[in-house]
Amino acid sequence: MSRHALAFSFALALLGGCASGDVPPGTQAPAERLLASVVPGTTTKAELLATFGPTKTVVFDSGYETWLYQSPAGAGRFTEFVILINPQGVVAKTRQGPVSTPKN
Amino acid sequence: MNDFLRCLLLSLAATTTATVASAQDSPPGTPVATVKVTTTRDPVDKSYRKMIKGMERFEREHAYAPAASLRFQLLPRTPDVDMNGITLRVAGDTVSARVQVEPGNTFVLPRNEQLLREDAAVLANRKTTSMTWRATIVTPGLPPGTRRLGDMRLECRVGVEAGLVSNSSPLFGWLSNALTGVDEVCNSPDGNYLFFAERPVFAVRLRAGERSEVLPFHFLYAGGGLPREELPFCDCQVLLDRTYYVPLWDKSWPDDTLVEFEYMSEYMSEHMSNAAEATP
Repeated sequence: MSRHALAFSFALALLGGCASGDVPPGTQAPAERLLASVVPGTTTKAELLATFGPTKTVVFDSGYETWLYQSPAGAGRFTEFVILINPQGVVAKTRQGPVSTPKN
Repeated sequence: MNDFLRCLLLSLAATTTATVASAQDSPPGTPVATVKVTTTRDPVDKSYRKMIKGMERFEREHAYAPAASLRFQLLPRTPDVDMNGITLRVAGDTVSARVQVEPGNTFVLPRNEQLLREDAAVLANRKTTSMTWRATIVTPGLPPGTRRLGDMRLECRVGVEAGLVSNSSPLFGWLSNALTGVDEVCNSPDGNYLFFAERPVFAVRLRAGERSEVLPFHFLYAGGGLPREELPFCDCQVLLDRTYYVPLWDKSWPDDTLVEFEYMSEYMSEHMSNAAEATP
C-alpha cells in the first residue's frame, strides 16, 4: 500500500470514529434518591459509584471532577443532577436542573 | 463547532501530516514543487489588519453594548506559561510599535496606517500556542460577578472578526476559519464560541426580568465531552474548568440579560489563582 493510500485509509478510520464518537448522556437515577443520598461534605466518589454507577464525568487538572446524572422528568425529558467532587474524593456541592432533553 | 465538524477537521489535519511525511520520503529524482517561504507566522501572533477589522466591527455594532469599551485580553493556553511580564509589539517590515499591557493582561491596540499597509503582526514574547486571545467588552456598573449578554454577543463578533481564537494546528485553524464566519459562529447554536469565567465555574444562570434559567451541563467545560487527546486542539486546554458557552443566538434573551455564575469554591479559586501565577 502506498503512503498516500495509507494516509487516506487513516483518514477514513478517523472519520469512522466521528460517526460513532458521541458522548453518552449521564446515567439515569430518580431525583428523590439522588437528593436523599448525595450529601455535600459526606458522600464519597466510591459511594456514588456503588449506589448509582458510573456516569458522564469531567475531570480537571485541579483534581476536581463534575459528574452528571439525569432524572426522568416525563415526556422524554430529564432533570440534570450535577455533582462537584473535590480532589479528596468527597462531594463538595450539588445542583439540580435544568429540565432538558439529553444531548448525545 | 459541532462534534462531527471538530472530528472531521482533526482527521484532515492528521491526514495532511501523513501526506506531508509521504512527500518528504519521495525517491530521488521525483519532481517536487517548491514554495519559497520568506517568513513564518507563529499561531500565537495575530494579524494586525484582522485585529483592526475587529475594532472596526466593534464601532459599527456598538449598539450591542452601548456603554462599553473594547479591550483585548491574553489568556493562558498551556500549564507552564508565565502570564507575568508579557510584552507586546506590532511589527511591520519597516516599523514596530510597542503595545502597553495592563494588569490582567489586557490591552488596547493603537491604529497606525503604516502598520496596516505593511500587514504587520501583533507579537507577544511567549512561545507558540502558549496563549490565547479574546476581546473583552464589559458594560460598567453591572452587579458584581455578572456579565451582560449583549457585551458577550459583541465580544464574539469582534473576536471572530479579529481572528483571536488560537488553535495549535495551523491547518486546523485555517479550516476552522474557512468554515466559520462571524454569523456562523455568533448566530448559530453550533457556533460554540467559548467564554472563560474569572474562576472555575459550577453553574451559569441567565436572568432577564422575571425569567431565569440555569444553562444545561453541555454549556459548560467545552461541552463536557472533549477527550483528553483533543484538549491540545482547544484553546480551553488549561481553562477547561472556567469554560462555558452562552446562547448568543437565542434572541428571546435580550442584550440586557445578566449572566450569573456559581463558582466551584472560594478555596479552589484562590488555589487556582496561585497556580496560574506560578512561573515555569
